[in-house]
Amino acid sequence: MSNWILYGLRRGILTTRYPQRSGTMPAGYRGAVTALNAPLEEQRAGITACLSGALQEGSPAARVDALRCYQCGECARRAPTAFAISSAFEVARLRRRAAPFGRSVHVRHVDAGSDGSEEQELQAIFNPFYDANRLGIFLTATPRHADVLIVTGVVTHPMVDPLRRAYDAMPHPKSVIALGTSACSGGIFADSPDVVGPVDAIVPVDVYIPGTPPTPLSILHGLAVALGRAVPAGGAMP
Amino acid sequence: MSAAEMRGAREVAQRVLSRVRDGARLAWIFGDRVGDRTVLRYVVSGEGGLEEYPGSVLGPVPSLAAELPAALWHECEARDRFGVIFEDLPESRPLVDVRPAEELRRADSPEVSTILYGPIRSGIVESARWIVETAGEDFISVYPSMFFKRRELERRFTGVPLDLAAHVAEHASGATASSHAAAFSKAAEAALRLEVPERARATRAVLVEFERIHQHLDSLAKLADDGSLSVGSSQTFAAKERIHRLLAQATGNRFARGVITVGGTRFDAMSHLADVCDAQLDRLEAEVLAVLEALFSTQSLLDRLIGTGKLAREVVIAYGAVGPVARGSGVSCDARLRDGYLYTPMAGEESLESQGDAVSRALVRRAEIVRSFRSIRNALDGAFAGEFLAPARIEDGFGIARVESPQGELLYFVRFDGGIARVALRSASYANWPLFVPSLPGNIFTDFSFIEHSFGLSQAEVDR
Repeated sequence: MSNWILYGLRRGILTTRYPQRSGTMPAGYRGAVTALNAPLEEQRAGITACLSGALQEGSPAARVDALRCYQCGECARRAPTAFAISSAFEVARLRRRAAPFGRSVHVRHVDAGSDGSEEQELQAIFNPFYDANRLGIFLTATPRHADVLIVTGVVTHPMVDPLRRAYDAMPHPKSVIALGTSACSGGIFADSPDVVGPVDAIVPVDVYIPGTPPTPLSILHGLAVALGRAVPAGGAMP
Repeated sequence: MSAAEMRGAREVAQRVLSRVRDGARLAWIFGDRVGDRTVLRYVVSGEGGLEEYPGSVLGPVPSLAAELPAALWHECEARDRFGVIFEDLPESRPLVDVRPAEELRRADSPEVSTILYGPIRSGIVESARWIVETAGEDFISVYPSMFFKRRELERRFTGVPLDLAAHVAEHASGATASSHAAAFSKAAEAALRLEVPERARATRAVLVEFERIHQHLDSLAKLADDGSLSVGSSQTFAAKERIHRLLAQATGNRFARGVITVGGTRFDAMSHLADVCDAQLDRLEAEVLAVLEALFSTQSLLDRLIGTGKLAREVVIAYGAVGPVARGSGVSCDARLRDGYLYTPMAGEESLESQGDAVSRALVRRAEIVRSFRSIRNALDGAFAGEFLAPARIEDGFGIARVESPQGELLYFVRFDGGIARVALRSASYANWPLFVPSLPGNIFTDFSFIEHSFGLSQAEVDR
């Protein structure tokens, strides 16, 4: 017979102190792309390798749409003078903070057409290494009890109505987080006629957390941004 | 072979039926367009490997589903997507087109209620719907209504440059991205008759075995959670987290995305993997084995799994199921024993159990995790010198290949005509979902999640 209490005690405290203390990803983690000053011809090898159209020519540096980047690293590998990829994980962008939340929020998740990895990373924020419960973040089964709606995936045609109904069923004030590059912008499906589009084509989005998939630390950061406890990346959004 | 020289699909269907009667497994039927002709491609897994039988669709095609349940979803999808008419197809409802809820209520007895369970369900789960007819605790009938997540991923490959296309395959199922990238790449390499450097083959094997470990842990952690074993579940998720951390350090992504490509790997991931494993693999393995030991000595959890979601061996064979679901019922189907290996063919016996219930499937996963660590060490100990990428050039033709993903055999078809003309995939989850229905009779409503998590399937790779 297992003694799980002893088992847990033997492993000690695994939990990160993030966001009260800083967190880190390993050095080689492909987090966020930055454009370096480089002539157009050096930019092109990277731009043409981007399947999601996240990169555009620009002067003195290319323009990067962080919400479209799916972190493949092709641009930095093919055009190292024009693009660099860093291990940054605090990538959440804030469009508006609709809801003045207090200490604790309840979160409902809806999968609108994900690749299945976003769900596993969202699940991971409740594992002992991240323990989102310590931050007052709890899952709820019904949108009626939810303060925050986290949506994963590019929105497919059959998920439009279920997504809208889940949003409508939530009480005010409410906040919506688009989780993952596909949810934020459509990602590699951004220009596909076979899907409806990013989450904000259907419901208003407050916080965008890009990533393929976003790491658990990125998700914690995005939640903290939604709750007004952390600074978003990249300043104000249009 | 041009479509004009091809046999008719009627004749091919008969040939396939006789191959299955001889003991081969029907793996796949899918539509393709060659010129202006619709072609049905039948794929069976026989003793010698995969066999592909193309047949021109000239008129109605006899349905194999009445005799072979394994054919049902494939024929429905070919009907829905390619307009193929199957004679006597036992299912008239559409498979891939989601119908409005009003059309689905069909219980005609006042004691029986129809519950539409999904597409949004409680917890963090992928979207799928189950239409459940119940008179209380018992399942009267259950019908899967899926494809809510249909992104038309197979079409997204069209026109994508060969050296970027594996990124699209990784989007089929992000949690098993390495398996998808490896299976897609193998199919393309088969079409192009491309030899992959040993170093790259070893890298792919290491990544897919790590993937198997983290996905099996995911399934076991969810089973523990279903059994209200919250510390056990948390500690199993913690063990899974350690794998993702190792992969992030070695490959730059927690699911090892962006490594595998046609011809090898995109960068020399093996040198990073070797360093990271050298420092961490022993401790990681000890942690994973410790949590497995603790889980499988928690009798309250095992009691909940014993006898739950039982599947007889004959049913598994008739449905053509694969992976731990099939092996839990004693059906041998590990692609790594056959042509589905990535580095070296799997040595020795595969992990089989005979009871066919949820605990059997969990035991298969435990044995496979232990074996995966061995395979990782074997690949790391292998040849290290040499290139990691062979240059690939597109030539017209097609290839089919398989890889043993965590959920089971994963098949890809790639056809080149100038560029990428058609990619199709048959995931293990697609092969296994139909079997969920016959696993339910005799169980009660609260067994649903145990059975679902003992299957451990992904929705994204089904809906595509």
